Amino acid sequence: MSERLTNEATVDAALDALRSLGVTTGEVFLREAQSGSVEIKEGAIESVIARGERGVGMRVLDEQRLGFAYTSDLSADGIRTCADTARRMSGVTEPDPDLALAKKAIDDADLDIYQAGVVDRPLGERGAVALTVEEAARAVDPRIKQFRKTTYSDSESTTIIATTTGVRASYRESYCGVMTSAVATETTPSSPNGERQVGYHGEAARRFAELDPVRVGQRAAQRAVEKLGSRPLATQKLPVVLDPWMAMDLLRAIGPLFSADNVLKGRSLFAGKVGQRVANEKITIVDDARKARGLRSAPFDGEGVATTTRTLVDHGVLRGYLTSLKTASKLHIDPSGNARRGGYGSPARVGPSNLFVAAGSDDAEGIVRGLDRALAVTSLLNLHTIDPVSGEFSLGATGNYLERGGRIHPAQGITIAGNLTHLLSAVVGVGTDLVFGPGGLGSPTLVISELSIGGS
Amino acid sequence: MDQGAGIRVTSGERTTYANGNVADVDDLIALAGRAARSVVDGSELHEAAEPEPDSVPGHSTVAIDPRSVAVERKLGLLRRANEVARGLDPRVQQVTASYGESVQEILIANSEGLLRTDTRVRLNLAVHVVAKQGDVLESGFEALRGTAGFEMLTDQAVDQAATDATRRAVLNVGAEPAPAGTYTVVLSSEAGGTLIHESVGHGLEADLNLKGLSVYSGRIGQKVASELITVIDDGTDPDKRGTSAMDDEGTPTNRTVLIEKGILRTYLSDRKHAEKLGIPRSGNGRRESFRYLPICRMTNTMIARGRSDPAEILRSVKDGVFVKKMGGGQVDVVSGNFAFEITECYRIRDGKLAEPLRGATLVGQGPKLMSEIDMVGTDLGYSTGTCGKDGQGAPVADAQPTIRIPSVVVGGKLK
Repeated sequence: MSERLTNEATVDAALDALRSLGVTTGEVFLREAQSGSVEIKEGAIESVIARGERGVGMRVLDEQRLGFAYTSDLSADGIRTCADTARRMSGVTEPDPDLALAKKAIDDADLDIYQAGVVDRPLGERGAVALTVEEAARAVDPRIKQFRKTTYSDSESTTIIATTTGVRASYRESYCGVMTSAVATETTPSSPNGERQVGYHGEAARRFAELDPVRVGQRAAQRAVEKLGSRPLATQKLPVVLDPWMAMDLLRAIGPLFSADNVLKGRSLFAGKVGQRVANEKITIVDDARKARGLRSAPFDGEGVATTTRTLVDHGVLRGYLTSLKTASKLHIDPSGNARRGGYGSPARVGPSNLFVAAGSDDAEGIVRGLDRALAVTSLLNLHTIDPVSGEFSLGATGNYLERGGRIHPAQGITIAGNLTHLLSAVVGVGTDLVFGPGGLGSPTLVISELSIGGS
Repeated sequence: MDQGAGIRVTSGERTTYANGNVADVDDLIALAGRAARSVVDGSELHEAAEPEPDSVPGHSTVAIDPRSVAVERKLGLLRRANEVARGLDPRVQQVTASYGESVQEILIANSEGLLRTDTRVRLNLAVHVVAKQGDVLESGFEALRGTAGFEMLTDQAVDQAATDATRRAVLNVGAEPAPAGTYTVVLSSEAGGTLIHESVGHGLEADLNLKGLSVYSGRIGQKVASELITVIDDGTDPDKRGTSAMDDEGTPTNRTVLIEKGILRTYLSDRKHAEKLGIPRSGNGRRESFRYLPICRMTNTMIARGRSDPAEILRSVKDGVFVKKMGGGQVDVVSGNFAFEITECYRIRDGKLAEPLRGATLVGQGPKLMSEIDMVGTDLGYSTGTCGKDGQGAPVADAQPTIRIPSVVVGGKLK
């Protein structure tokens, strides 16, 4: 502890270690984070977690071959060993003429993503957020009796990137979020032990005061209560309504289709489609890494490339892909700054920042009232199994079965299936109610003309 | 390299856990200080017992430590997988082969004097193949994973994984979309055990049952499945992906019979929940790393072998769906509703395999499905995965014999 170097001095030491090994093109990525969480049970704090992490990842480019290593041991020895491992790894990987490290300076951008002291707030204040969520949920309906889990969490982190060729930049960010799974219980003659249904909701913000725990509790409670009395549906095709939160779940699965890495490897249905129609003309999809207070906003990406704002789908037409230095070079375009890095221990991967479907101008409720029958989805199971390569999805679902916009009964034990590209083409309504969720994703309500429903 | 520690302090009903990267004793003492800050009332303090080191037997053999194997050899296996896959079919468009090794050195010490260590060597060689036919892209996946030494990655095993991944990708680009509806389903033992993991396993975790929130809460001693069904969680199963000598609180792993011939016997517990529920410690307090508190979760979970001939199970179905490989799954533990992905399946016509189907999902409700299974085979097949719970990943394996489900919802498309 006595010899603990500052973050900047650690980065200098790592650059020196690379240079002393004869590395001419090398990169150091440092991340320090303090994070915490508070979980409550029966009106009191049950557990508190305080987490610290600090480490560096190093990349070495030698004869167009890339080596990577990382360490949390930031002693002189630890840094030297890590630099040497990265250098050795660059001797065994496949060469690629398009590999490069950042060379351009990064512009100064104030994205308003940092509020000092988020993790230092008193425990009572942090626990109170979670308690407020549960109180608000209970107030919605007396059938909300329990919670599977209610957690408040927060973090502050510092990221520094530096290359042996002179690029150097850093930023700080803060995050706080709260989530709950409320449980509604109802005893009926058909289920004397009680029918139990769970409703999940979570939100996050860059600033403590921007969290709305009451809204989180209310929405989770509504989700749980509206599932009580669920029945199966018959196998059929139905129009489907996706509220912003459900639409975000599917948008997350669409993200990989925009990855230039997937495009170049023939793993994306959007390969070769720039300039072509890939969605209904009501659909515009934007990736905005520079959104003020955005939960995935950052001035530069995991390779030290300045981030950008990109319209990926403009009124249904595909305009471009998300790129890293390597994939941009292969496509002969400027990099978009989308080499995302989860932490110092993970290499960069192409991915979206704040990816959202732009607000539309439709009266979504009005469209649904005009439909004889529809399914409004309320939760989806198995989203992680959507294959971005084929675009096929077949998911477990719960929903509200609607006739002329009125709820007839909740449904459970059903599936919805389709293809992500078909889904984008089949959008017939885009609401005005754009909302951003905790993963940086955003969407308004979407109405889909028809999906296959599996049931009895 | 990631080195760190976590210090857990319990005071009344409250747990405080401070964790982070540590380089030396000073870092560790600083962490202890952060954790101790939560102790409200000094009267609860008591002297820690002297550490009494002991050892627990391991269940994995590591003849060849992967760290001693040259990186060229590892790359050679990946090139081999790539060549095998590309050589099998011209429709193969892209092959991604990856190798990962993880060696965890774990030391657990507590104020009761427990002091135990465990070393876990885990390997993961995965092959992902993309095939293209017309406008249809499909992928196929297979992985070799275990808590074992490098000797598990033989050329033959790698060839087989590459072949299986390729077969699935190629089969699926030519397959008809699965028709949605309710069917009689035969789940092959080769399909792996995602079903038991999702439909039953998560519902038997003690934390959920202490809150009374599982469909299995308060049902120990009651019939919760067909008498053909015995469910076991076995953290001692040699070399399997979910195997270790002890869990992440220092409790030795166990072979725990959870459901015996349809009767619920116990839950999967960590120390805290075993005590609160008055059940034996099952050695299922697992954590992803020092950054997390332990939670109750599965290791290697299986439906035990039954008495039916697997071939006879297939022959018994006139019209249905045969599932040869399952992918990932998810369960809503509160209602018991689950869904899992099917990555290789066929229509059954007159007791025989017919055309392949793609894009299918199976959904149901755990206790209902388990009470309806009416044939259980004499065979047993494993699959591996990474189980997600409360934001933590844990390496697991699952297994099952060939089984027949008389009626279950298969998700898919309608023409």
